[in-house]
Amino acid sequence: MASRKKTLLKVIILGDSSVGKTSLMNQYVNRKFTNQYKATIGADFLTKELTVDDRTVTMQIWDTAGQERFQSLGVAFYRGADCCVLVFDVTAPNTFKSLDSWRDEFLIQASPREPENFPFVLLGNKVDLEPRAISSKRAQQWCQSKNNIPYFETSAKEGLNVEQAFMAIAKNALAQQNSTVDLYNEFPDQIKLTNTQKPSGGSGCCQ
Amino acid sequence: MGDSLNDCIEIFTQDGVLLKQAQASYMSYINSIGTLYISESLNSSQKKFIEWKPNDITVDSDIQDQEWAVVNTIQKRTRTLSGNFPPDYQNRVRCIMISLDEVKSFRVANKYRHLTFYDGKSEALCSFVFQHGNCEGLIKGVLGTILKTSVSKRDKHLYIVYDANTLEIQQLDRSFAELNLQSEGSAFWKMVKNIKEHPYEATFEAFAKVTDYVYRSPEQREIDARECEDLNRSISEYENTTTTTHSQGDYEVIAKVPELPPRKDFPRLRPMTVEQWRGHLNFDGRIEDVDSIKTLVFRGGITPSLRKEVWKFLLDYYPWTSTETERQKLVKAKSDEYFMMKLQWKSMTKVQEDNFSDYRDRKSLIEKDVNRTDRTLDFYAGDNNTNLQMLNDILMTYIMYNFDLGYVQGMSDLLSPILQLIGDEVDSFWCFVGFMNRVIRNFDIDQAGMKEQLSNLHTLLAFVNPELATYLDTHDSGNMFFCFRWLLVWFKRELTQEDVMRFWEVLWTGYPCENFHLLVCVAILESEKDNIIKNEYGFTEILKHINDLNGNLDIAQMLNKAEGIYYQIKEADHLTDDIRMLLGLPLLGNQNSYGSHEQSPFEDSAELSNGTQPCCSVENVRISPDEGAYERALVASFL
Repeated sequence: MASRKKTLLKVIILGDSSVGKTSLMNQYVNRKFTNQYKATIGADFLTKELTVDDRTVTMQIWDTAGQERFQSLGVAFYRGADCCVLVFDVTAPNTFKSLDSWRDEFLIQASPREPENFPFVLLGNKVDLEPRAISSKRAQQWCQSKNNIPYFETSAKEGLNVEQAFMAIAKNALAQQNSTVDLYNEFPDQIKLTNTQKPSGGSGCCQ
Repeated sequence: MGDSLNDCIEIFTQDGVLLKQAQASYMSYINSIGTLYISESLNSSQKKFIEWKPNDITVDSDIQDQEWAVVNTIQKRTRTLSGNFPPDYQNRVRCIMISLDEVKSFRVANKYRHLTFYDGKSEALCSFVFQHGNCEGLIKGVLGTILKTSVSKRDKHLYIVYDANTLEIQQLDRSFAELNLQSEGSAFWKMVKNIKEHPYEATFEAFAKVTDYVYRSPEQREIDARECEDLNRSISEYENTTTTTHSQGDYEVIAKVPELPPRKDFPRLRPMTVEQWRGHLNFDGRIEDVDSIKTLVFRGGITPSLRKEVWKFLLDYYPWTSTETERQKLVKAKSDEYFMMKLQWKSMTKVQEDNFSDYRDRKSLIEKDVNRTDRTLDFYAGDNNTNLQMLNDILMTYIMYNFDLGYVQGMSDLLSPILQLIGDEVDSFWCFVGFMNRVIRNFDIDQAGMKEQLSNLHTLLAFVNPELATYLDTHDSGNMFFCFRWLLVWFKRELTQEDVMRFWEVLWTGYPCENFHLLVCVAILESEKDNIIKNEYGFTEILKHINDLNGNLDIAQMLNKAEGIYYQIKEADHLTDDIRMLLGLPLLGNQNSYGSHEQSPFEDSAELSNGTQPCCSVENVRISPDEGAYERALVASFL
């Protein structure tokens, strides 16, 4: 069933403090980088329109605080997420070690319908910095162990791979949303009374 | 409850327990210190109770209790685990007695020092602070064996009580009792007789009672289906929702929302000048009239050149009563203390650090945050800036000052304006300590302090602007999370450095009431109400809208409006005790009203509260006066 209503993809960025969550989001949405971002307090989001497979979607990217104790408030923000982006800093081994707990915590708090199939994307950020502590191979192994999570190495500072990573995030989020929509097929699309255009096929429409 | 008080044995006692929260009828004992007991009824029911009595009512039983006391070096600390009667048992006046059956969950906070019991219907039964030691023994040793509990998955400090086996039986008993068939036999036999004489009528009457039960007691019927998960949810909902209109069982707002008195305007005054300040110092540098100084600061802030001096008083570094000579001595001593603590981390060897992951994590987090705190300000700009080094060193030394807390994100924001203004490392540290002491609960590991504030904010908003509060409730935003950043760092992220300094110094005076910063939030939200409601904003849009106010807030207007709101609340005829508590106002304390609404006509209470007739239609609000409790409450100060 082709949907004419605007598609909104909700994406949550998680990871330890200072791995570059805010920077990645700003680089992708505003194509800007500054090292003057403050530590995120509470939560905020940015939106960006993009085209995925000839379809225009709006991606709502949520940026959260990285310190562990602030996660107890996460549940309000995680609700309805279509994809979760995990970020670590390739030069800081601890931020890689925390990935498991970020992933688990997200699954517990967001409690998605099918946790084993919920899309995650892993970003190893700050590849512009030396020395490197986590190799690509090690990160990929972790991804394989988690049901083949897509992995991208990025530099928010130089804009490296950021566009590609978020495109993959959007595709995964969209796939997730479509699979969830299928579950609700018994409900017809929203009927807009002002909509003069005839919906292109599909059930439950009454012109 | 029905059990005779004398037929109980004590399983556990603990003294030095402060009553922090209780049903309205015990209001006058709030903040009193007393003894907590867990006792068991000796009759066949073997019911167990939580009991608490204040210290001043009966003889202290410490001496007699020595037989079972765990010997401690700290004076007057006793904890007993005993199956015997304490000798003075009969003399005790019981203050609070709650059946353990009523307890559906309990929650610990502040390292087992704070214990709250809940009834599972979103209400706190009572809450205690353990001043001698903590309640870990009570929970693990006593409650853990009496009750079937499990730790909540969502909140490791929350213990859920469940007892599936007995619930079903109790439920069955209750359903019979509800039908009134077997109470004392008489009703039952009457019915049997009726059936014999008027078979149709009597049978239908009995069925009618069944339907009455079915339709009118849904709450009771749900009990046997209640499981851990539900309780969990009810507690978390409790934390997220307000209870203004029906909080303590002492008020009952049935229909019409009462109006607040008209809002007055409180224009801001000019900042306190150097002359005004000097005029308040006597010959040896002591401040003559502290209240008058605080009023000046509250009304207009402090002229920038004077801030450096006055902040040290406002932030409790210099005692208000000190003389110039005393302050010089103090600075010397505090300087030594600071450098001693600084040396502790400075002298840590690499091996020590390698073996101390907690310390390493804190150190690294401070380093990361210092590098991104207010770097756009000249004071913190550029590489190798010595001010950044000071920011770092003060935060590192604070770890040594407060090991339990360490470093939490947001703290560098609180320090930044202080250091920028004070300039000196030692003085800035002690002023920062003073600020931290006021907001330390913002940084609770489980965020309990923040959740409590968000919930208090909702309570105040619901009182001042019920329409907006209801709108937020129905749009996924009753949790007030969108105000998180405002509250965590006191609007630091929303204001310029100059404005934040003005705003903070006004709030530090503690005038005109406690939690005034929450009224500032209410004032801003009220200004944004039309935007929010007209645009039909939901959770996401509200959060965005509030975050985007950053940089567009007028502090003079905020403070003016918040003060107006404060006086509106204070003068409102329907002002409830929960709001009074939040603002540190004297409580009305209505001991007689609990469970007996009918006997307390509203007219009397209106006269008692301020001697005037209500100016708005509030006939549905019932509060009952108790002059004695009112007087006692005047003395009790609520945190």
